[in-house]
Amino acid sequence: MDASTPHAGLTEKLVRRERFLGGAEIAAILTFAVTFAIPLLTKSVLVYSVLNQILVGVIAAQSVWIMLRMNLLSFATPAFMAIGGYTVAIAGRHDITDAFLMTAAAFLLPALVAVPLGALVLRLRGTYFVLVTFVLSQITQLVLFETPALTGGSNGISGIPPVTLFGSELASYREMLLFACGLALLATLITALLTRHFRQHFAAIEENEILAESLGLVVWRYKALGFIVAAGVAGLAGYSLVNMLLTAHPSSFDSITAVDFIAYTIVGGRVSILGPIVGSTLLVWATNLFGTHGQYAQGLYGVLILVVVLAARGGIVGSVGALARRLRS
Amino acid sequence: MLLRIENLHVRYGGISALSGVSIDVAEGETVLLVGANGAGKSSTINAVIGLVPAAGGRIMFDGVELSSVPCEQRARHGIGYAPEGRRVFATLSVTDNVLSGAFGRGRVRQREALDWLCSVFPLLSERAKQPAGQLSGGQQQIVALARAMAAFPRLLLLDEPFLGLAPVWIAQISDAITQLHRRGTTVLMTEQMARPALKLATRGYVMRGGEVRHSGTVAEIRELALADEYL
Repeated sequence: MDASTPHAGLTEKLVRRERFLGGAEIAAILTFAVTFAIPLLTKSVLVYSVLNQILVGVIAAQSVWIMLRMNLLSFATPAFMAIGGYTVAIAGRHDITDAFLMTAAAFLLPALVAVPLGALVLRLRGTYFVLVTFVLSQITQLVLFETPALTGGSNGISGIPPVTLFGSELASYREMLLFACGLALLATLITALLTRHFRQHFAAIEENEILAESLGLVVWRYKALGFIVAAGVAGLAGYSLVNMLLTAHPSSFDSITAVDFIAYTIVGGRVSILGPIVGSTLLVWATNLFGTHGQYAQGLYGVLILVVVLAARGGIVGSVGALARRLRS
Repeated sequence: MLLRIENLHVRYGGISALSGVSIDVAEGETVLLVGANGAGKSSTINAVIGLVPAAGGRIMFDGVELSSVPCEQRARHGIGYAPEGRRVFATLSVTDNVLSGAFGRGRVRQREALDWLCSVFPLLSERAKQPAGQLSGGQQQIVALARAMAAFPRLLLLDEPFLGLAPVWIAQISDAITQLHRRGTTVLMTEQMARPALKLATRGYVMRGGEVRHSGTVAEIRELALADEYL
């Protein structure tokens, strides 16, 4: 039977649809395009501060989300954030501040480090993967403290010069924030393209790795690719964080912050790229509501993760989607 | 000989699942492995696709010794596999399930495969966007069968394709296997339900306790099936 069957048109449409970004991806990218307007519309320091934290959180949560697409829960995000952040800080100390160069470096260096690490940790599944990625973050802390000549040790690196774009400094709070919006947009674009292009592959690995393998899917190749890109995206989060604080300090990349990024992703919903965005926005905003009692935020995250796992597996985005489908039918 | 299994041994931990199984499948044949639960039928299939390692013996596919070929590469060499229990990707759509059978074959070939399979199994276009986990057992088996065929394999491994299905679906799946056979696909299938499966086969092996007890033409196996306690 040849391709000129009556089904040809339908199947062509179904296959072609794979290539382009889906509704959720386009919505995610548009969200960040719109975010650029916020710094231009307001001068409120509080709004700036919260938005900046959200933008860092969104990028880090997307790194977590990429790995969750393959059912791998990664605690390594702070480690790769530290590599990206310290790269920018150390370069800044040598007066290298070009936005394009440093964005590339903050993505590529963690991605490069992820190549040998991936070969090591991607053999592991489930709880062992979780454990080892957590250990990676712990080791990163140790390395940061024990290499004062390079990283400033427990003092970190402070007084980092602002980013320069086409030779001019982005020194004002507004300009810094616009740059953070740009980084978040870039990270979202990378995440969307990766997860959309390999949607079938990631979904098959997420659901049944062994079955996928028996169908000819070279599972390790996609896991490695996901791990490397997730590391690069985390590096961008590190850049954004250092750019916000103008300081690189070990405490900014504490391994326990991995829990926050996982909470953003799971509470927001792991079913869609909108999940990490919604989760970060809501939880960072809620944390700021606690004001001076920020230490209770971790407790809130814990409770919310429990609620999601027990009552609404799809998180906020998944639950809203399910509700919409029910109303429509 | 397309597939030649020689003196195959498979062990799970210390337990021997296959001891010295030898099976030949020639190009264009439909070969049936019959036997009760635990006879070693699934272990044989799993060793061919590479889900379990062989503890001894050889598996030759089209002249290539498979022991050093990883599971995913065996699929790319032209072995299709539909696992027992209709294991579909439950949350993926029917279309995505079928396409996943042609991983890495390029979009043009994926499209060709989908076109052809939709024409053979109209169900696939009727339920294209539905998550495969929502289908009935028989429908899921069609999806699993189509997925295994999506890469146009030379050898198709079917592990208990009729397990737990209603007679109407057994007839439909039988039709589908006959169509694939006519297309020149070589089939190695396992089945406890010998009667419907024997209608499709050209030759058969009777397995028990991890060994091949009898082999022969369909007529011979059918006689054994009537007389013997094996089936």
